[in-house]
Amino acid sequence: MAKIEVVNVTKRFGKFTALKNINLEIKDNEFFVLFGPAGAGKTTLLNNVAGIQIPEEGLIRFNGEIMNRIDPAHRNVAMVFENYALYPNLTVYENIASPLRSPLYKKDNATINREVHRVAELLRIDHLLERLPSQISNGQKQRVAIGRALVRDPNVFLMDEPLAHLDAKLRHYMRSELKEMQSSFNTTCIYVTHDFLEAVSLGDRIAIINEGSIIQVGTREEVYYTPCNEFVAALVGEPEINLVDGRLFVDNGKYYVETLEKGYLLPLPESSGIVRKLVDSEVTEYHIGFRPNNIKYTFEKKDGLIRGTVYSFESIGNKAVLIAKVGEKYIRMIAPNDLKVKLDQAVYVELPIHKAIFFDAQTTNFIGTSDEAAIYRLVQEQLSKGVQ
Amino acid sequence: MAFNIKGKQPKGAAKNDLNTVPWLTKARPYLIMAPSLLITIGILIPFGMAIFYSLTNYSFRLPNYKFIWFRNWINMFTDKAFWHAVWVTVRFAFFATVFEMLLGLGIALLLGNTENRFTKILRVVLTFPLMVAPVIGTIIWQLMTNNAVGILEKFLNLFGIYNFPWAASHATAMFTAVLIDLWVYCPFVIILILAGIQSLPKSPFESAKIDGGSAWFTFRNLTLPMIKPCIYIALLFRLMASLQEFSIIFALTKGGPGDTLMNLSVTAYNTGFAFQKFGSSLPYILVLWFIVNLVAKQIVKRWMQSQKAASGRDAAAEEGGKS
Amino acid sequence: MKRKRIVSNAVKNGLLALYALFALFPLFWMVLISFKSDAQMFNTTFIFNPTLENYDAVLLRTDYFKYFIDSIIVSVIAVLISVLAGVPAAYALARYDFKKKENLAFTILSFRFAPEILVVLPLFMIYQKIGLYDTYFGLIWVYQLITMPLLIWVIRGYFEDISVEIEHAAQVDGYSWWQVFLKRLLPLIKPGLVSASLLAFIFAWNNFTFPLMLSGTYVETITVASLKYIASDTVHYGQMAVAATVSALPAVIFALLIQKHLVRGLSFGAVKG
Repeated sequence: MAKIEVVNVTKRFGKFTALKNINLEIKDNEFFVLFGPAGAGKTTLLNNVAGIQIPEEGLIRFNGEIMNRIDPAHRNVAMVFENYALYPNLTVYENIASPLRSPLYKKDNATINREVHRVAELLRIDHLLERLPSQISNGQKQRVAIGRALVRDPNVFLMDEPLAHLDAKLRHYMRSELKEMQSSFNTTCIYVTHDFLEAVSLGDRIAIINEGSIIQVGTREEVYYTPCNEFVAALVGEPEINLVDGRLFVDNGKYYVETLEKGYLLPLPESSGIVRKLVDSEVTEYHIGFRPNNIKYTFEKKDGLIRGTVYSFESIGNKAVLIAKVGEKYIRMIAPNDLKVKLDQAVYVELPIHKAIFFDAQTTNFIGTSDEAAIYRLVQEQLSKGVQ
Repeated sequence: MAFNIKGKQPKGAAKNDLNTVPWLTKARPYLIMAPSLLITIGILIPFGMAIFYSLTNYSFRLPNYKFIWFRNWINMFTDKAFWHAVWVTVRFAFFATVFEMLLGLGIALLLGNTENRFTKILRVVLTFPLMVAPVIGTIIWQLMTNNAVGILEKFLNLFGIYNFPWAASHATAMFTAVLIDLWVYCPFVIILILAGIQSLPKSPFESAKIDGGSAWFTFRNLTLPMIKPCIYIALLFRLMASLQEFSIIFALTKGGPGDTLMNLSVTAYNTGFAFQKFGSSLPYILVLWFIVNLVAKQIVKRWMQSQKAASGRDAAAEEGGKS
Repeated sequence: MKRKRIVSNAVKNGLLALYALFALFPLFWMVLISFKSDAQMFNTTFIFNPTLENYDAVLLRTDYFKYFIDSIIVSVIAVLISVLAGVPAAYALARYDFKKKENLAFTILSFRFAPEILVVLPLFMIYQKIGLYDTYFGLIWVYQLITMPLLIWVIRGYFEDISVEIEHAAQVDGYSWWQVFLKRLLPLIKPGLVSASLLAFIFAWNNFTFPLMLSGTYVETITVASLKYIASDTVHYGQMAVAATVSALPAVIFALLIQKHLVRGLSFGAVKG
């Protein structure tokens, strides 16, 4: 159990800067997710927290105490490596028992036996204890790596894409297993992933990292409904959010946005305060984000809907993605699997302006959202957490 | 469990600087390497001394020596024996290396393409000549070619050839020396190139077969470029070694008959030990060292190029395999 | 089509058999005549009455065992020292990134390619001056030029094959860096270390130039001694064969043991077998 602070950390490798002035505060017992594309610096950050690397600038603190000078063995962290890092010449049992045999965290044989079996049963690898890493599958190796971490009682768990190399079914199973274990952990956990579903389902809070910098930190609602810029909005959400150009249009005191086609106007909802935000921002050129699952469509001409043609239709499991070409833009929408549709067929799209996210077209920064319900929920969330 | 491990401060940590690596950690690689360096560099002092003494007339017969600067060198460069030694060195190295490489390449290709119990055993036992000391190998061949009891002599008798001179005659001595060198070191070439062949990826060859490429085409455009790094390594080691070959020639004839096999190494030995003219012997080997270094640089350069070329093609093959 | 395949296979196997004959017959014949008495040497070829009299003469009546032991002492200790100093050096080269690292590594490698004569002639003089001539220590030290570069370069390759993350995992588990080295890394390179050591031993055992000039009376290795058996004007060919056979034996036996790692060792890690 420990509160982890990353303070102004910069990490360089020769001329390349992997981490640029990172600041993070991870609460005690929090399941904190580090989410970002490949090469963002996630593993580097974990290595610095673990003590495997030392930052060129900045501090790492555990419960207020500076850890820069302290080697990994003494930091009492448990780490699950992306490539498992199992000891090839030791059995599964010995791999999991390894930390409990080290001079620093030594336990007696009876305790070791008990703990290893407890963890192995939890992870359903107790029948593999006498095997060598070369004799088990990737998914099993992954669980052994997790087991080696779980036998510990560390300050913090560091997990580097622990489910990345598992097939879809196993990943789904492990995700729910981890979620169950999370509540009984009682330990801080920093979890790295580039899979959006994992991030939102597991994390108390998510930090979005890209090219060595933290872009946004927040709960899953915060990053989904109020992403701080277009990058985050595109990253969080499957299928990817639709971003269309728009302009503010005033007529007779009523506010509209003009988008997709000249003269196509969508009225802005009065109640959500979005109008106020847009006016105050003094920005008139926007990129408006519509989540695919909020967009409605029909194949019959209807007033107020904009016309497009079917570009593609692809199943993604239990639902499908329907892409319509509207003007120059391609709009992604969710559709049922059994929808009968022909390419180039006419389709009429209803853009949900009451659930839209507005970005400054120049800076790509977040201006506001028109989604009232989401705003309400977020406010409630803040209030329930108390004054931070 | 509460946070309770008090960290150990690493040695050599500056008091107030939290981000610099402690100097003891930075020095660690050098400290670890120190013993090995001490041991090997200590031995290298002779190199420096060799250059020093080559400028003197040091001799084991004379009590003192004095600097005669470049007289040794000038004497050497104007001595016919020196140029003869250079010629012998180059000839021996050339023939030995070329034949070893060709034979080695051929056998390696045969072994790489055939798979049966015989070849499996052969791969193991063909290393034996290599493991035997070259001196011992020379002794064995001397016994075999002995005009009185040697088996080769008896074999040649069947064809009506008697008393083949082998190492005793000026005409055949080089041939004999090269033959023995070939016998000892050909397995070296075979093993290296075979390893290269065995590590070749299968997909390019399979697609070439499908595309209908002939055996020669496959060899020239696929096999050869990809095993070039191995070939260069084998070439490098063999050329460097045969340029300075001493044991075999010394054990065979000590440089004879006459001066037929007097390469730079043996000549230097003779001048230094047999004639005790220590100072004059050193320029010979310094010249040899210079030649060896020159050749090595060239081959290493080509080796690195071939590695890049080979791995470039490898990566492309893998890429194709993935999709 | 099939006929072509059978013929080409026969040709291939035939050529290989020819080479096998070339490579192995000399060794076979040498062992053969070591069992032939002097009397039978001239008039028999393959069929004769084997006898141990040559072995008796060489091994029991001459100093052969002394030479054998001398070779063992020098080769074994030389390899041991190279291992003790070389393995850490190989680790440093594999893991750490420091200035002039590759320069240093190639310098070590170049020791191997230096002409032996170049080293030996000045060394002869120096050794006489500092009293290392004809001593075990003197030879063992020179042998480092042969054994150390081999060990360092080959073991470096084995270290580089181990993923760094294993060391990180061991650190996180609670082991200090030298405990990581001893408990986690060494077991993993053990097979490679054994083979490289055996190969280094073979090179040391086979060396001729160094003991020829830097030792002579008190210390005499088997390679130099064997030449004595030829140089003498005797016609005891069987005894010469014995000398050759016995000195070749350890190397051949070890060679069988290290087959798997032979390529790496011979190419100094440049080619991964």
